[in-house]
Amino acid sequence: MLDMKHITKVYRTDLVETHALRDFTLNVAEGEFVAVTGPSGSGKTTFLNIAGLLESADGGSYRLDGEDVGTLGDDARSRIRNQKIGFIFQGFNLIPDLDVFDNVDVPLRYRGFNARERKARIERSLELVGLAARMRHLPAQLSGGQQQRVAIARALAGDPRFLLADEPTGNLDSLMARQIMDLLAEINRQGTTIVLVTHDPELARRAHRNIHVMDGEVSDLKPYANRAAGAVA
Amino acid sequence: MEIRPILSALLRNRTGAVLVGLQVAITLAVIANAFFIIERRLEKINRPTGIATPDLIFASSEGYTPDYQHVATLDGDLALLKGIPGVVAVTPINSVPLSGGGSANVYQTSPDPKAPLIPGNYFEVNADFVDALGLKLLAGRSFRPGEFVAAPANNDLPSLVVVSATMAQKLFGDVPAVGRRVYDNAGKSAEVIGVVSDMQGSWIDNTRPGSYDIVFHPQGGLGKYWDYAIRVRPGERDRMIPVIERALNGHGHGRAIHWVRPHEYWLTRTFRADRRMVVFLTTLVVLMTAVTALGIVGLATFHVNSRQKQIGTRRALGARRADIVRYFMVENGLLGVSGAAVGVLLAYAASGWLTRAFELPPLPLGYVAASAVALVALGQAAVLWPARRAGAIDPAVATRTV
Amino acid sequence: MLAYYLKLAWLSLKRTPAITALMIGAIALGIGATTTTLTVYHRMSTNPIAHKNAVLRAVTIDNWSADTPWDQEHPERPPSELTYRDVVAIHRDAPAARIVAMRKTALTVEPGAGRPPYLVIARLATREFFPMFDVPFEYGAGWDAAADSAGAPVVVLSREANQKLFGDDNSVGKSVRLDGRDYRVIGVLADWQPTPKFYDLNNGDFDTPEDIFLPFALGAQLDLQPAGNVNCWKAETLGGVHDLLGSECVWHQLWAELRTPADVERFQSWLDGYVAEQKKLGRFPRKLNNRLYDVDGWLARYKVVGTDSRMLLAVSFAFLAVCVLNVIGLLLSRFLGAAGSSAIRRALGASRTEIFRQHLVEVGLVGAIAGLGGLGLGWAGLKALQQLYGGYDQLTRLDFVMMLAAIGLAVLAGVLAGLYPAWRICRVQPAGYLKTQ
Repeated sequence: MLDMKHITKVYRTDLVETHALRDFTLNVAEGEFVAVTGPSGSGKTTFLNIAGLLESADGGSYRLDGEDVGTLGDDARSRIRNQKIGFIFQGFNLIPDLDVFDNVDVPLRYRGFNARERKARIERSLELVGLAARMRHLPAQLSGGQQQRVAIARALAGDPRFLLADEPTGNLDSLMARQIMDLLAEINRQGTTIVLVTHDPELARRAHRNIHVMDGEVSDLKPYANRAAGAVA
Repeated sequence: MEIRPILSALLRNRTGAVLVGLQVAITLAVIANAFFIIERRLEKINRPTGIATPDLIFASSEGYTPDYQHVATLDGDLALLKGIPGVVAVTPINSVPLSGGGSANVYQTSPDPKAPLIPGNYFEVNADFVDALGLKLLAGRSFRPGEFVAAPANNDLPSLVVVSATMAQKLFGDVPAVGRRVYDNAGKSAEVIGVVSDMQGSWIDNTRPGSYDIVFHPQGGLGKYWDYAIRVRPGERDRMIPVIERALNGHGHGRAIHWVRPHEYWLTRTFRADRRMVVFLTTLVVLMTAVTALGIVGLATFHVNSRQKQIGTRRALGARRADIVRYFMVENGLLGVSGAAVGVLLAYAASGWLTRAFELPPLPLGYVAASAVALVALGQAAVLWPARRAGAIDPAVATRTV
Repeated sequence: MLAYYLKLAWLSLKRTPAITALMIGAIALGIGATTTTLTVYHRMSTNPIAHKNAVLRAVTIDNWSADTPWDQEHPERPPSELTYRDVVAIHRDAPAARIVAMRKTALTVEPGAGRPPYLVIARLATREFFPMFDVPFEYGAGWDAAADSAGAPVVVLSREANQKLFGDDNSVGKSVRLDGRDYRVIGVLADWQPTPKFYDLNNGDFDTPEDIFLPFALGAQLDLQPAGNVNCWKAETLGGVHDLLGSECVWHQLWAELRTPADVERFQSWLDGYVAEQKKLGRFPRKLNNRLYDVDGWLARYKVVGTDSRMLLAVSFAFLAVCVLNVIGLLLSRFLGAAGSSAIRRALGASRTEIFRQHLVEVGLVGAIAGLGGLGLGWAGLKALQQLYGGYDQLTRLDFVMMLAAIGLAVLAGVLAGLYPAWRICRVQPAGYLKTQ
């Protein structure tokens, strides 16, 4: 599904050169639930931006769903983002002017589905996250957990190939956080690949596999469940 | 005064500044030229007519029946009008000054047919014209009653003429005109018997003949119509119009009085276009300045809002309110001055185009300078409000993380 | 997608009503001012008989003095009017589909029934005047060839003259008393106000057409006085209208209807031949210079669009430019201030083009609303202007073309203003706004 080899990314200003990712290699198979962990400044964010085609790598190769996406232009990348990737952000990033229905609708609009198809998909996604009753509410009228669930519904509405979640429970209390993680686990059980970026080891535990990033490189590939006590977390 | 850091901060985030600067420049270019044009038009409108315009009434009479008696009607009208209390003097006249309509001829100062032809705007009047129009006799004399020919056989040059001071200058230079002769190119000549003060003739802003190139012929016209120039006592004009109209309509046979109007009527019509231009230009200038001022306020407000953290930090580091205000005033001043500098160049470019396309004279420096100063000052006044709001920002903003 | 973008645009405008109002106001003001000046300019510069432009010709011949040209600044131009004897000869003998000879005069009309007599301006014209210039009749018709050559005492009234005398009734057959003589009404015109008055630009570009029309021959028969420009170069003793008719003074107008280019050529060479003949009689001291002008050319020669109108148009466009610059600034701060939702859309797969289009639709909407507002302002401006134009209503009438132009201009201004801000917003890097860790 997601095949990154030897990815490098350098941020340059007039004075300073920051190697955010150096020789980063990662392979995620279809149906996997993978957590990418690491302290702040380790390169997780850069990995996420590159995985989600929000930025291009400076070196290495990235094949997504069998396709080499490294050299694609902005329009092609936008298409792939639209059709294959579902984003879930820490800050929910719902559009405040639009109600729940229209928020889930946004990525579908750029797909070219007709009105009937869109309506069907939106209703199905909202059913899946349990918010069908709130279709006409505005984000400001929902709790944090509900907003994140709308974001998940939005990410799922277009049947993406994988979900890319960035600290999805960061702004939620522990009860809501557990509900969101349960939802993600359920979605994965139904077959959707999930890549979760987080610094919270509790969250990482719920994934099948845990990739640890430090100073721009992958430092640990063992599945969490198999890690011996005392290894670097 | 921290001009350099303010300038470099402004340059780093140029777009808004460029937009406002361009607005200032264009507005300045328009204002400078517009003021010049407006001033010229107002000068034209307010130019003294040279005659007693506030006290002058003109009437038009035309005979239309086969038994209409032209000269008898004229004599009767003059006697009638002079007898009305409030009337100071009357003359028959062929056209109304500043009305855009009139008669012109060419005059020479020597019988040689090759002598230069000097166009003159002529008025056909009787002996009372100096008093009736409110002119001053500067040299020589006016016509005597016996010298007026009410029904001439043709429109050849009469034997006597009176000229305006400007016409005398055009014909004879500094040599006194009284006693000299003028010629038409058909063998007739006339003696100049008097020079009167200048008045504006039939056509404003004309060159051939010029506005002030006036000649007076002591004769009536060829047709069955003429106008009367009636001077009344000061302050009486509006009251006198219906009186005169009634009197004339009650006298005379087989003729119609087509209108009785104050001289102001023709001034309004003649200057309508100029007034229009003044109103239009003034409105546009005011609107443009207002929009530019709003643009300045908008940009300043945007800067204040996006720099809240920075302002709070400066205050926390010891800046006083007045320092913050001054920062924004200086920044805006720099913007205004650079916009004005470009505007000055644009103003001259526009003036050059106006000169080429519309034959206007070139723009004097005073208009550009005054407009630039005024616009920059206005910009500074406009930015006072957002600058003071910036000064009022709480220093505690510096430590907030939301 | 357009409906979607319009919906998004509407939501966005509602969100910041003050700034939206400012933007719409700025463009509306600029459009209002431009509409006002552009309408006047447009009305001044239209050719009211454009459909006949190719077949009508104003005829001018150079009978002027050998020593000075008619126009010092344009010495190649013949005088704009002709002598009486020349228009009579050309009208009688020249080869053309139609020729009209005409001039203005003034008469006193006695309306009778106790009403006072008043002045009317009349046009003396040969019968071709009405068909040549497509003059519409409400009642009756013009006179025929017999009436023309005899100088029959018939008259055609304008709509205004008919209203003043007979109160808008069908007055055909009724009698009008002019300068002590009776004339029979044979026709009444419908509303006819060609703007500008192309057929006689010598005597007032935007005057309303004359009150009444009389057969041309009456002018010489009755020695009717001139009521327009009369210009003479020759030293001739003129004792009255009779002398004027035989003089070298120019005070008549002449137009020919020539339907094909071959007809034009034939007319031109006949005219040249005629002038050559006259030269043998000692007339026409200047070199041969006969010019035919089509209506566009005639209007251009007279520069009917005054310099004032052109200057005001230029200032209006400068004002519009300032307004557009203003709106660019407002749009920039608005779009960039709301960059967050554009970043979200980009993350969800909108391409840059789609974000660009979305914002262009928003500015297009602003432009369209501003266009309507600007149209209203322009209309108000024109109404206010009518005072300053002293009754030249023709010049301040907002026709359909101008209305479309105003709205089109507003949308164009909006889109122009929005191009740069839309481009800026679509280039924003989504990562920076998404609050990813």
